[in-house]
Amino acid sequence: MDSRKVKGREWCQRGRFALTPQCQGNRPPDTAPDTADTRPADTDSKRPDPRVIFALALFFSGFGVALRDVRFMAALLCLALLCAVLLRVRFKRLFGRFKRLWQVVLMVALLQSLFAPSGLVWLQLWNVPLLTSGGLEKGLLVLFRLALFITSAALFTPYPARALIQAMVQLRLPYEVAYMVSVGIRFIPQLGEELRDSLTALALRGIVIRELKLKQRVKLYSYLLLPVLAASLQNARELAMSLDMRAFRAHPKRTSYYTLTLNRWDWVLLCVILLLTLFAFFAWFAVKSW
Amino acid sequence: MIRFEQVTFAYPNRQDFRLTVDFFASGACTALLGENGSGKTTFGKLAAGILKPDTGRILYDGQDIAGLKLGEIGRQAGYLFQEPARQIFAARPLEEIAFPLELRGMAKPEAEQKARALCEEFELNDTLDQTTYTLSRGEKQRLALAAIMACEPRFLVLDEPTTGLDRRRRELLAATLRRLLARDLGLLVITHDRTFAESLGADPRFIKEGVLLDG
Ligand SMILES: Nc1ncnc2c1ncn2[C@@H]1O[C@H](COP(=O)(O)OP(=O)(O)O)[C@@H](O)[C@H]1O
Ligand SMILES: [Mg+2]
Repeated sequence: MDSRKVKGREWCQRGRFALTPQCQGNRPPDTAPDTADTRPADTDSKRPDPRVIFALALFFSGFGVALRDVRFMAALLCLALLCAVLLRVRFKRLFGRFKRLWQVVLMVALLQSLFAPSGLVWLQLWNVPLLTSGGLEKGLLVLFRLALFITSAALFTPYPARALIQAMVQLRLPYEVAYMVSVGIRFIPQLGEELRDSLTALALRGIVIRELKLKQRVKLYSYLLLPVLAASLQNARELAMSLDMRAFRAHPKRTSYYTLTLNRWDWVLLCVILLLTLFAFFAWFAVKSW
Repeated sequence: MIRFEQVTFAYPNRQDFRLTVDFFASGACTALLGENGSGKTTFGKLAAGILKPDTGRILYDGQDIAGLKLGEIGRQAGYLFQEPARQIFAARPLEEIAFPLELRGMAKPEAEQKARALCEEFELNDTLDQTTYTLSRGEKQRLALAAIMACEPRFLVLDEPTTGLDRRRRELLAATLRRLLARDLGLLVITHDRTFAESLGADPRFIKEGVLLDG
């Protein structure tokens, strides 16, 4: 059974008739819509409540910003990766998508050791230090920090958008804000696909990008702005119309058929995160004053 | 002519759908008919070199296109997307046709002259003062076609070109396409409109679940 197809069809039948191009197009949307409160998404799954993940991501990114020590950062990253594995985050897709970014990060690591040399010199050419222990350490710190941010963002990916928006609402965020965030997220894959089509169309006009001079390339990219902007405006207009037709914000408060409840394990996890935070704080201060 | 030799293709994230095709365009115009999700667009994108086959070869007049860059393929094949707005880049119709020519090294006056001639041919003269964003769907489609024809391709793939056109516009489009056919252009038209396919005198081929049916 093709579950994606069913999802897309179900969506069309639920009354968002032909309001989004995806309904007519070939490809059902990646994420199901999130305004309909009729489908309790993922209620019976064994994953923890999304609010626990919010706490976890806050923990990781908070210490990711604060920490300056490579060993602590590595430990934190290992913990984050462990969480990601337990949540069954799909790493293959993640790493595929960020392949270029990893290259950039590696570059940063090398540059750091080139231009901010400190510690022992491990490799040098004439008198220029190419790789120093201090530089490598700093480079690794940047690498681990970015990896930590990406991993903690990825912790949310196994959750359907509907669950995340509900978590935000129940964390007392205004519904409009929560909704805007989820709409933004939902359009990312679609915009990506549109951009890919536009790039393809441009290339098929007989333009080989490598043959172009830098100035021409800049001009070429500026031409991509129009289809992207046009598509965004179109999406926004259609979405606004469908929201109006569903009387979005007609009443000050919305109730929801689908609600999240924290069960015992969620509370345990929250306590563990809190304890970990305290422990990390103490460890940090202890190391500092030592 | 376009030829598919034992081509198979699957999307990396959709292994349950697989296109398996052996195809040889027997006439100047082929119509590809099939239900939604049967693989028509996938077939068209393979034919235009946008997607690369997993196995097998795709040949243009006997030449394997596997080694060619998209920009080089574009000098032989054109592709009209289902959504014409995705392939309109400039704010003005004339500029839309002329800018790729200039990027490819044609002199400005020459490119503009060519653009004017194409606007004349594709009945876009009334739109020259408008911004492309405000054009109607039919006009956007004709503009996209004119811009593709500026590259003088030998093959043209059209993905559901009749979507959103009324009957008169459909007939106009058919007339335009027949004119192109008379100029020795190979056409692959993806559609589920059989009358439209017949009005082009196209050789109808049917696709179902990624497999071409014979007869
Ligand atoms: N970019 C894509 N990624 C993954 N699957 C896709 C993609 N595009 C199309 N598909 C799938 O491939 C199948 C054939 O699609 P398509 O060729 O677009 O059919 P048609 O154009 O005949 O409606 C469908 O099941 C569709 O969901
Ligand atoms: Mg299609």
